[in-house]
Amino acid sequence: MQLNQILTDALKKLETVNSERELSEFKTSMFGKSGTLTALMKSLKDLPPEQKPQVGKEINDIRVAIQDKCNEAEVRLHKAAISAALENDKIDLSIDKPVTEVGALHPLNRIRNKLIDYFVGNGYVVYDSPEIETDYYNFQALNIPLDHPARDMQDTFFINDNILLRTQTSGGQIRLMEKFKPPIKMICPGRVYRNDDDSSHSPVFHQMECLVVDKNVTLCDLKGTLEGFAKFIFGEQTVIRFRPSYFPFTEPSVEVDASCFNCGGKGCRVCKNTGWIEILGAGMVNRRVLENCGIDPNVYHGFAFGVGLDRITMIQCAINDIKLLWENDVRFLRNFR
Amino acid sequence: MKLPLGWLKDYVDIGGITPQELADKLLSIGFEVEEIIEPRKDITGVVVGHVKSITHHENSDKLWICQIDIGGETVQIVTGAQNVKAGDLVPVATVGATLPNGKTLAAAKLRGVDSFGMLCSGSELCVDDDIVDGASVDGILILPNDSVAGDNILHTLGLDDTVLDVSITANRPDCQAIVNLAREISILLDKPFKMPDLKYKCVSECEIPPVIIENKELCSRYVGRIIKDVKIERSPKWMRQRLRSCGVRPINNLVDITNYVLLEMGQPLHAFDRRYIDEKIIIRKGKDGEKITALDGKEYSVKDVLIIADTVKPLAIAGIMGGEYTSIFPDTQNVFLEAARFERSNIRRSSRKIGLRSDSSARFEKGVDWQSVELGSERALALVYKLKCGSICAGSVSDCATAPTEKIIRTTKEEICGLLGIDIELDTIKSILKKQGISVKTEGKTLCCKVPLIREDIDGYADLAEDIMRFYGYDNIISTYSENTAQTKGGLSVHDSNVNELKNRLRAFGFDETLNYSFISPDAADKLLIEKDSTLRNEIPLLNPISRDISVMRTQLVSSMLASIARNCSRKNDVMRFFEAGKVFIADKLPLTQLPQERDVVCLGLCNDGDFYTVKAVVGELLKLFGVDPEYSSSKATYLHPKQSLSVDRGGILGDFGKLHPLVCENYDLPNNVYVAQLDVTDILEKPIGIAKFKPISKLHPVDRDLAVIVDKDTAVGNMLSAVKKINRYISDVKLFDVYEGEQIPAGYKSVAFSVRLQPDEATLSDKEIKQFMDEILSMLGSEFGAKLR
Repeated sequence: MQLNQILTDALKKLETVNSERELSEFKTSMFGKSGTLTALMKSLKDLPPEQKPQVGKEINDIRVAIQDKCNEAEVRLHKAAISAALENDKIDLSIDKPVTEVGALHPLNRIRNKLIDYFVGNGYVVYDSPEIETDYYNFQALNIPLDHPARDMQDTFFINDNILLRTQTSGGQIRLMEKFKPPIKMICPGRVYRNDDDSSHSPVFHQMECLVVDKNVTLCDLKGTLEGFAKFIFGEQTVIRFRPSYFPFTEPSVEVDASCFNCGGKGCRVCKNTGWIEILGAGMVNRRVLENCGIDPNVYHGFAFGVGLDRITMIQCAINDIKLLWENDVRFLRNFR
Repeated sequence: MKLPLGWLKDYVDIGGITPQELADKLLSIGFEVEEIIEPRKDITGVVVGHVKSITHHENSDKLWICQIDIGGETVQIVTGAQNVKAGDLVPVATVGATLPNGKTLAAAKLRGVDSFGMLCSGSELCVDDDIVDGASVDGILILPNDSVAGDNILHTLGLDDTVLDVSITANRPDCQAIVNLAREISILLDKPFKMPDLKYKCVSECEIPPVIIENKELCSRYVGRIIKDVKIERSPKWMRQRLRSCGVRPINNLVDITNYVLLEMGQPLHAFDRRYIDEKIIIRKGKDGEKITALDGKEYSVKDVLIIADTVKPLAIAGIMGGEYTSIFPDTQNVFLEAARFERSNIRRSSRKIGLRSDSSARFEKGVDWQSVELGSERALALVYKLKCGSICAGSVSDCATAPTEKIIRTTKEEICGLLGIDIELDTIKSILKKQGISVKTEGKTLCCKVPLIREDIDGYADLAEDIMRFYGYDNIISTYSENTAQTKGGLSVHDSNVNELKNRLRAFGFDETLNYSFISPDAADKLLIEKDSTLRNEIPLLNPISRDISVMRTQLVSSMLASIARNCSRKNDVMRFFEAGKVFIADKLPLTQLPQERDVVCLGLCNDGDFYTVKAVVGELLKLFGVDPEYSSSKATYLHPKQSLSVDRGGILGDFGKLHPLVCENYDLPNNVYVAQLDVTDILEKPIGIAKFKPISKLHPVDRDLAVIVDKDTAVGNMLSAVKKINRYISDVKLFDVYEGEQIPAGYKSVAFSVRLQPDEATLSDKEIKQFMDEILSMLGSEFGAKLR
């Protein structure tokens, strides 16, 4: 048989090969023990020596040509086989199956962490202060002596005459200033307690006290700080205003309103049509408070404010009922995942 | 405080400002208006009508047809009332009028005759004799002769005054008086302030009981006056109306005057019937066993409470309430009028001690100043004179402590502006202070500010700065960013950043964070089956809890966790993983003598979402987070299943975890597939979490071998596998893949199948070495655990 004919036949046959299995059979028929090319190679030994190199080369060329085509076919058929298999791997994509979802931080702590991050980034330390506190730290050192009418502002839970549940995080100011001297920049977030339980109050709630004491601290610095803070929470367009108020531990004292994030000050349901949202109370630290902590009020000024975290959380997360914060309804909590 | 605008106008001309505008302005100087109380909004369209003629209705015995002038217009009204006659002035609800009962008047035809309105009775307008004479009669209200046809009825009845309910901060007790608030408003609006009329004429002197103050630290000033021949009667309409608009019930002229002065001048007064005062007035503390029946008819024991007494008996509880016996009676002839200044904290204490509060004590608790004693007394006498309700005796009796002097505050413009951070002209500072009665003298750079006695709140330059800003305007405070203060290094404490790490880890395992009150029910310990002598029962009780359910400070977080899970189950959501990281309060001793320990505890709760091994794995992960090797012992926690619970006490982590005890499940009405963990992490939270060091990874291939052994069925497989892992350093991992009891395994035994990974580090392990290791494992398991190769 002509060598060329062998090549032509082989290639023709290869074209009919349609699967990896048939290809494998074809390869065996060519290169196997009793394969066509194997037989040709064997027949070489019967040729005269002078023809051997020439014929040998020709046979080899055919072998290489067929082998190349086989390789090509192999790649093509493998791809086809995988593609066919993919068809069979079809699944119903419309179904949802559960995985272990990441749990949620309580929204109150999310907001708390967010505010802490802001102040930490601005050079404040985070200080923790006891929740069960003495009258001294909760009241007296804050310029609220026994029988002071300002005590009526806060319904206190008492444990005994001298020990109570703190009504404000402001006691943290005193404890910190007793330990550290200015410059001071501190926040003290935590639980506070008041004997008050109605649709808008919970007997346990959260405050974050903030205190700055240094030389040259001014009321304008307080405003700048609060403005930065208000913008951080409610957005860059937010402005704040001061209203005179009274707290025994600050003088001057102010209530701070932020322009309503919802209506921009035009008046809406969120701000009860006033255009403003009351966010916190603040002021310049009363000199008696500094004196009580051994800081010379003639050298140092300070400002302080206390923000209610529950209120900020409710505003930020559009929570309309304070009870939701404490019910631990799984549907509520998962809302914040 | 209630501020009727009509009353305010007596002392300052507020011009055409609307109540809302005034409220906004008051806010800018520190007085928040909590409510603008409009006059009777529920009555509109009711005017005074003049009955021009009245005739019988042709088709009815009981109906009358009236022609009524309602101010330039005459309307025809059919009425069924029988007390109206021509010439009367009556309230007319015109067509479209609204009445307190919610009705809107429409034109009507009564038995064929058109009627354009309705005549009103006192009750239809919700007024009684107290407001206008004759209002309580059965029939139409016949108005006084001086009423003007066409006038709004609210005006005629004096019900048209708008009242602002102003919240007064505790530092401004002086503004609990209408005159002093009027003074603030006069500065605010830049209008002149007019002092109330203090003029009166006296008759000759008369005998007045002398006054002796025994406790001058509790009563620094006491002034007494006598009014003779009093006529006790109703006070005039204008006074009754003003009292009513402030929420005070009119009683009689003398009592009304004292209440009027309390509202107007902020000075509580008390009127005694002179005839019941024996010899002299003594202000002293009540003696042991001494009692008084107060005006409220109740008897109070006044031991150690400051009282007003005469030589034989207590007359009044000082500053709180007068005695019933010495009060004003209809036949009272001579009155002893008391004006005094009682120390505020003592009034507060006494009032709480005896459990009696009054308008007077509320006022004294806030602080009454030195001068208002005299002003109040004078104003009351001027009103007695004006109302002609008695003859005022010349002369007074008084006793007092040393008179206080006006405070002088020495400061500088720099000091004030340095606190504020803005520059304010010196002249502006002086002028604003002066308007508030604070005179300023300059001595070089020093400002000597003389503060009137009424402003007891002003104590230093910071207070002056505040009073300047109130009128200068807080909008002038600009924002600055602490440019002149030192840089500080902020940061989270180790504790707080550890708490964050801990919470993040728990969140990764699908736990949602819960929050619970720090106080719980004292029954929680019982529900958790906690032993009688456990320290967990040392809950710190509150003296004044809101309710029993939340009356003791928590010593554990489990009870609240279970309550939260149960609440969700009851709402048909019974699959959850919860955690709470919070404080518990541990008293070393009760009753508490020093502050308790506040310990950080983390509590896990799994309901229908995982088993014992889940909670064990999560606890293990928390230990790993803090670099603590898991090692457990059996748990004694009463609320846990005794056979499915473990305890940990390692490296500052202390606690228990496991399946909830079935009885506790019953107590909380929970499904029996709840697992909890409670770990005290107080100590470990103080240690920084280190960043792990890299351990080199071997480049050589590991070898995996499986083993199956048969052991007694009670053998702790976990312990067995840990022992395998410790045999030599090449055993890098031991994984359990099957525990089997049943066919082919002898009764009382189980088969344990596991794989062992051998990790060579320097040279590949030979088959001989591998076999040797496996033999070592088998021989150890045989000797330690009685295991046989399966």
